Amino acid sequence: MPELRLSMTAEARTVLTDLLRLIAPAAARVSVNRAGIPDNDAEVAAFWTDTLTAQAAEEARLLATAFANAKGDPAVILLRNEAQACAFLRALSAVRMALRDLVFADIPDAELEAAAELDDEQMPTEKRHALACYTCFGLLQQSLVLQLDPEAFD
Amino acid sequence: MANPKIKPEIKTESVVAPAPKWNVVVLNDPINFTGYVVVAFVSVLRISNGEAKRLMRQVHEDGRATVWTGERERAELLALELQQWHLSAVLEADA
Repeated sequence: MPELRLSMTAEARTVLTDLLRLIAPAAARVSVNRAGIPDNDAEVAAFWTDTLTAQAAEEARLLATAFANAKGDPAVILLRNEAQACAFLRALSAVRMALRDLVFADIPDAELEAAAELDDEQMPTEKRHALACYTCFGLLQQSLVLQLDPEAFD
Repeated sequence: MANPKIKPEIKTESVVAPAPKWNVVVLNDPINFTGYVVVAFVSVLRISNGEAKRLMRQVHEDGRATVWTGERERAELLALELQQWHLSAVLEADA
């Protein structure tokens, strides 16, 4: 598989990088909290918690490195193979999950599913800003999915 | 004193029951895109794109879908892998 590319304006890269710095430390907690960890087996529960926590740390590192290395305008993130692309996809999902739980907890699921159509005029500036980033991370995900598997979307 | 010998009668019976099965259930969420869920299903469950799409639609339309059924250890592993894709995967005992 040829390398996969994600491109964005330099301004978008700066904005998304800033948001990642804020949200990444909380992503691990969100990831573990959301997981339906089996509670009837302490050993299994500990294994799940450790695995998800370690993965969240790795995802934070992956995103920070990728955005830091995306120089120029447009800024381009290069992913060398399918494994890297899948890891990046998961990391983007983790960030969106963290934003959902920490910033958009008051938005009903049905409205968040069509986030691009949300009326953000009444939102505080920080929340509107976070919503724009949430949508951008989603666009990056969709671009990557289309490169990985053009038939994945209906 | 006479010591009566009583020969105990021992009966044995083998009961073989199949191990209980477990379902890996994926719940709908408002965050992950349909295409992302298809890629995750293909990667974790090793199923075809068409089957992954069918399961994704079931999750989206019904709110949940059983994506795998079988023995517990494998079910736990698959559920964890789906969680690592940030899908809402839970384990349920098969009725």
